[in-house]
Amino acid sequence: MSGRNRAGSLVAPPGAMVPGRSRTAPALRRRWRLYLLPYGFIAPLVLLLLTISFYPSLYAVWLAMTNATLLRLSQARFTGLHNVLRLASDGVFLNGLWRTLRWDLVVVLSELAIALPVALFLNLKFPGRAVIRAAVVVPYIVPPAVTALLWVYMFDGNFGVVNDLLVKTGVLQHYFPWLSDPLGSFLVVAAAMVWSGMPLMAIVLLAVLQTIPGELYEAASMDGANAWQKLRRITLPHLMPTIAFLLLLRSIWMANYVDMIFIMTRGGPGFSNYTEAVYSFMLTQQLEVGYSSAVAVAMALLLMMASVFYVRHLARRSLA
Amino acid sequence: MRTRRRILGSIGIAIGAGMILVYSLAPIAWLLIASLTPEHAPSTNVWDSARSVVYLPRHPTLGNYHALFQTVPFGMFFRNSAIVATGTMTLALTLGSLAAYGFVRFRFRGRGPLLSATLMSYMIPSVVLLVPLMVLFRRYGLINSFPGLILAEATLTAPFTLLLMINYFSSLPPELEEAAQVDGCTRLGALVRIVLPLALPGLMAGGLFAFIMTWNDFLFAFLFATSDNVKTLPVIMRLFALGEPAVWGVSAAGAILTTLPVATIFLGFQRMLISGLAAGAVKG
Repeated sequence: MSGRNRAGSLVAPPGAMVPGRSRTAPALRRRWRLYLLPYGFIAPLVLLLLTISFYPSLYAVWLAMTNATLLRLSQARFTGLHNVLRLASDGVFLNGLWRTLRWDLVVVLSELAIALPVALFLNLKFPGRAVIRAAVVVPYIVPPAVTALLWVYMFDGNFGVVNDLLVKTGVLQHYFPWLSDPLGSFLVVAAAMVWSGMPLMAIVLLAVLQTIPGELYEAASMDGANAWQKLRRITLPHLMPTIAFLLLLRSIWMANYVDMIFIMTRGGPGFSNYTEAVYSFMLTQQLEVGYSSAVAVAMALLLMMASVFYVRHLARRSLA
Repeated sequence: MRTRRRILGSIGIAIGAGMILVYSLAPIAWLLIASLTPEHAPSTNVWDSARSVVYLPRHPTLGNYHALFQTVPFGMFFRNSAIVATGTMTLALTLGSLAAYGFVRFRFRGRGPLLSATLMSYMIPSVVLLVPLMVLFRRYGLINSFPGLILAEATLTAPFTLLLMINYFSSLPPELEEAAQVDGCTRLGALVRIVLPLALPGLMAGGLFAFIMTWNDFLFAFLFATSDNVKTLPVIMRLFALGEPAVWGVSAAGAILTTLPVATIFLGFQRMLISGLAAGAVKG
């Protein structure tokens, strides 16, 4: 807030100069230049985002209210809320809501379930910690398309290493066709996603853990607290805001995520892995741009509340 | 008693570290092994070979890497990825860091709303942008072109770089610039002589992130690059996942080479990137 008070002096427009002072032309120009300088810094980025993000997203909203297809774009007619009615009776879309929720919950909660113990572990002091920390992050750096390829390979029904290991250890009697099974394919894609996304959460949680002052733990030890009590009473409360924020952010990302699902399954078998994002993407590929936009925009609106909350959170912290 | 506890603790740490290493690295190791395994292991009968998983090839070979360049124009795809990633990095880093500097160091009318709006663009899902960008790119001849791909990727990387650089500039003390200005440096002079050198680590982290994000991105590349001379590596990885070429060793070799540049960048600048990753989401 202090920033805004300080702002007063710099923001004053060039016209509002103290009367009586000499107002030569160069001085005025200088004043103007100073006034416009910050806009010069941000203008290129703002212009870029206006052209490639804001204008297109408004255009998407318009397209969502037309019957446009890519091949007959000039004949696109405004159909108002027709697409919304179509969504309301579209089984793929309606069931997709549930599939999106399932995908979101399973991936995000699994990521947290793995990331939290990993972060706690990395916060211990032991030789070689830097190496382990780097190893944790490696899956995040691997291109998701490579991860998808690798998981398809490992879970292949005929020569996949996972089947081989499961049969050899006696867990399975026969090779299981993971990717052609509705539930099996979901689990494999989710596992690949978790592998790829978990490091981000672990590293962020670790960064928060490292900010918890050591004195708190020392004081707790003096009072005779055991390890579990310290975790429960000191560590988790400190992590909680970040966990809440990570869950929110990650859920929004995952609801819009297409890459891994599309590469590994094309949304199949059948519609079993059609989240709304995948559905919209498949419609785009069929050049049904109007209805595809309707699906994407509907989903985006559903997530809007969360997004607004998130951005306000970010903006507040950035301005502070 | 005390030593016993310490020994138990070390064993626990060793077990934890081992589990993490296996979980994170075993799939990569498996990919590497697959890329070195000759496809037709001699002396297995036809019915067996479909189901034989070779854990350690008896005669590891680079043949798959050789075959990769024979079967697909892999060098060209690699070049395409490099062009798009470098271009996006340059664009996002230049505009993102300029804007970040403007937001951090100046107080001006509309600052709050403008900052919120630019950060908001980070939350516009790529799926929403796919269709309008496709229509617009077709209209302006940007489909199957590097500028088109770079612009599309910038929708992701530019707001991200902005966020990262805002964090970074906020951590630099403004007093240094002020001192330089008192000593007779112009505002831009101070920017070039004082801020730029100080911000170099931050700029590098931002640039490397932008490069990695673009190198790894699939969605835009898949839709906007349909002809071979602009296709990037993730698009090729999808073809490989569909079983084309039908030789797994060759696909694995391609996957290893696709991962190599970003893995090298990561290992080289690990410390910088990891702290950037944490700061980007935590400190705000």
